Amino acid sequence: MVIHLATSFLPRPETAALAATVSTQLARLNWVDVLVIAIYFAIVVFIGFYLKGSSNTSEEFFMAGREMTAWIAGLSFVSANLGALELMGWAGSTYQYGILALHWYWIGAIPAMLFLGIVMMPFYYISKTHSVPGYLQLRYGEGARALSAVSFAFMTILMSGINMYSMAIVMKVVLGWDLNFSIWVSSITVAVYVALGGLKSAIYNEVLQFILIWAGALLIPILGLIEVGGWTNLRQQIATNLGRSDYVHLWSTLGHFNTNPMGVNWFGIVFGLGFVTSFGYWTTDFLVVQRVLSADNIRSARLAPIIGAAFKMAVPFIVILPGLLALSVLPFHLVAQDVAVKTGQHSYNEVLPLMLVRYCGPGLLGMGVTALIAGFMSGMAGNVSAFSTVWTYDIYGAFLNKKATDQHYVFMGRASTLLGVLISVATAYLVQHAASIMDYVQQLFSFFIAPLFGTVILGMLWKRATKPAGFWGLLAGTGTSIGLWLWVQHDPHALRYVALSPNAKDMAENVYRAFWAWLACVVVTVAVSYMTKPRPVAELVGLVYGVSPLPKEHDDHWYQKPIVWAGAVAAVFVVMNIIFW
Amino acid sequence: MRESLSIWWFAGVLLLAYGVIILCTGIWEVSHPLALPPVLNNLHAPIWWGGLLTVAGLGYTIGFRPRRSVNKTRK
Repeated sequence: MVIHLATSFLPRPETAALAATVSTQLARLNWVDVLVIAIYFAIVVFIGFYLKGSSNTSEEFFMAGREMTAWIAGLSFVSANLGALELMGWAGSTYQYGILALHWYWIGAIPAMLFLGIVMMPFYYISKTHSVPGYLQLRYGEGARALSAVSFAFMTILMSGINMYSMAIVMKVVLGWDLNFSIWVSSITVAVYVALGGLKSAIYNEVLQFILIWAGALLIPILGLIEVGGWTNLRQQIATNLGRSDYVHLWSTLGHFNTNPMGVNWFGIVFGLGFVTSFGYWTTDFLVVQRVLSADNIRSARLAPIIGAAFKMAVPFIVILPGLLALSVLPFHLVAQDVAVKTGQHSYNEVLPLMLVRYCGPGLLGMGVTALIAGFMSGMAGNVSAFSTVWTYDIYGAFLNKKATDQHYVFMGRASTLLGVLISVATAYLVQHAASIMDYVQQLFSFFIAPLFGTVILGMLWKRATKPAGFWGLLAGTGTSIGLWLWVQHDPHALRYVALSPNAKDMAENVYRAFWAWLACVVVTVAVSYMTKPRPVAELVGLVYGVSPLPKEHDDHWYQKPIVWAGAVAAVFVVMNIIFW
Repeated sequence: MRESLSIWWFAGVLLLAYGVIILCTGIWEVSHPLALPPVLNNLHAPIWWGGLLTVAGLGYTIGFRPRRSVNKTRK
């Protein structure tokens, strides 16, 4: 199995790994746990029916009526990324790589989220675009939009299927549930509430899921810290158990590739992850950006990513800390997935369920499992709702049927939601019979993110960027990413060139490949721009920094300004990095 | 149609329901100990965690109840 990736959206170890899991069932639910799960399903379906009446126009169905408050948009923004794969995958990665996994939550997210809120969101918002491909159409024309929309729609819906299959595998491993039962119950539920209530329904459920995850998972680090006797004792016990101290340092081990468990250095983390990959995902992946576009005004749209960043910074408490605690308290050693398959031991990827079972009895266990189910369903709903929007606006409405009525587009949105769910189910079964597809599809998804960031950011900040440059830059970046990946697949020795070290692990390779893809995109975009005719400045109003008057935001007090809160979050971010240096 | 049920009300109902269930389970376990108790079962986490969820859920359920949330607290 190939272990991938980079930031939250991208392939994580557990997806491929869980596909081959053969471990025995970890827990058995009693009737109280089943009741807890049933209540969750009843509420999400009720919300779908309840919101159907307010999802009748395309603006309501696809953009939630653009009436979400900053808090709802912000929680939804961070929650769309906080699926159960995220939780379980990074808990497992922490067990494997130590506290370095924390970088994917902090430097791999916070600066990009703040940048989105302060710099980029005004342009997304005032352009009134419905999607990121829609922005590319306004800025670069139909070519860039088509390339971006088709790749996004394709990958998103496949990811949804992978998400679903992963959930079914987790339910099988943890609870012994039948795969078909998990796949169909979850997919029908998601289809019902998204097709009925559209984006608003997805957002409501994401907010509920966010609360549930905290309610269900917070006990693990609390009880874990009590058991080990606090953070200082935990660090000592990990160092004693492993015979090395590099598992609990965030930055001090990144001076060289060979001095940390991940085989990466500070340049890869700062530029590959913290700049390219993170900014690519958090500022251009429509799955998360769509949540912020639903905000009720530009101030809310700017505040939402900042609120999301504050919560994102706290998430490691329920993801990274359980992984570290497992290194100290579990009476057995977890192993890589391929070893687990052969020996019947537990794998890294089962860290979170193992810790859940360790501390939670009836009721609490049901809530923890519900949080995982909610995370999976919410992740799938996010994918499906984003797919529905991009399909309807940027493929169907842009190329297949340009002059349909608003009602027709809403119908198409509902139909494409159902179709998306069905394709997801098909993908789930496809993956079941060919687990390697899961690796490749997730890898493909990563190919489009880093270059897309180059295209979007140049489009927003550089008025000289031209239409052909947008298309060719995006294509060149994607081609570079795919080419580098194929190179390493064909010749593993190429790793020394792609990731600058023959010792680089998969995650290190991913962050470096993202960096080269972004660089190729930027170089080609700039070169082609200088070779082609620029667009008149008048056409760029509302799309590009420097030629777009931003609407005034009226804050009664200084502390209501988004920049103040962004500064506060940034300050905490810096302090936390120093504390865990 | 402008929906009058706030998302925070839904969150409150969910937390309240879970809080009550977990609290009751915790109280039941005091007199009926589990055959295979989890680690640190002596701290009675279901009781205080369930109680906390109940209080939080009650607060949100009452604070965002439908009849006072038509416009201001709809979401």
